[in-house]
Amino acid sequence: MLLHTLNRPPTSQVLAQALAGMGPDDKLLLIEDGVIGALPAHREHFNRVAGRLYALQEDLESRGLLPLRDQAVRVVDVEGFISMTETCERTVSWY
Amino acid sequence: MQDATSQAELMVILRHAPHGSSWLKEGLDVALVAAAFDRRVTLLFMGEGITALLEGQQAGPLGQKGTAPTLAMLEMYDIDNLLVEQRGMDELGLTSDQLMLPVTGVDDAEISRLVASHALVLNF
Amino acid sequence: MASTEIYRYLRVYNQNIPLDPEGYLVNMNDWSIHVCEQLAEEEGIAMTAEHWEVIQVLRDFYARFEQAPAMRPLVKAVGQALGPDKGRSIYLMKLFPGSPAKVGARLAGLPKPANCL
Repeated sequence: MLLHTLNRPPTSQVLAQALAGMGPDDKLLLIEDGVIGALPAHREHFNRVAGRLYALQEDLESRGLLPLRDQAVRVVDVEGFISMTETCERTVSWY
Repeated sequence: MQDATSQAELMVILRHAPHGSSWLKEGLDVALVAAAFDRRVTLLFMGEGITALLEGQQAGPLGQKGTAPTLAMLEMYDIDNLLVEQRGMDELGLTSDQLMLPVTGVDDAEISRLVASHALVLNF
Repeated sequence: MASTEIYRYLRVYNQNIPLDPEGYLVNMNDWSIHVCEQLAEEEGIAMTAEHWEVIQVLRDFYARFEQAPAMRPLVKAVGQALGPDKGRSIYLMKLFPGSPAKVGARLAGLPKPANCL
């Protein structure tokens, strides 16, 4: 199981590249501009990783997106991010 | 380096086009260094990175070196496993006969298997 | 990598040829057979036909790929051009002791190979 991070918004083709690189159990963590993807309007882009989609709390908060996020997206803070990198075999960054 | 990954195969993913940024060059440099130290390297071209393989590329308008000579050099470093994202090829409307090197097209399922099976994956 | 910093000059037939701090030519166009011989002398190498053919392989490599080769591709290029007996690191070590890729590139008037220690 790998952890993938994405720091680009869902309008970027990098999202498709990240999804292409993800295995069936891998987790996707949205960070920086990537957290825009946590808005409910973008839910369909992430159907393939339903239940495995995370967003970084600090990046949601700094953009005012925390209250607006899709409730299906799991929120982790930086410490949670670090523990994810420990429980996952490797981390692959998509940027 | 004697850790478990020291002999593992490296996959370098190239997703940026030539000339626009230095990402492509940096990714190729990493691949060459690894190969110079006898590590097996797989290159995967995704998205705009595929345009690095187009025939007929030249130096930039200010004389900046292009990446085509470096790509031609890969075989001298025994880097011969060149993969391209098939969906990216389709989106760019390109076919493999327009590319300067022989490549193998891979679909999303194959890409996720490759990312999982290489102990080292570097994204550029 | 190529350096543009002039560190010293190599005296070749009344001409001063600028060298960078690591002894590589600052201007690749300054290269000539005489410059090569002078650089070889600094390395304690007396140029022979066997040296010259490897220098040619190095210069051809650069002309084609715009980079000086690291050891592995140098061995391969020499093997392709001069045959498998010569395409071996031990053979190149005898001709250009120390680091054949680096010493060879210096004598061939190329920039220092980027991808080697």
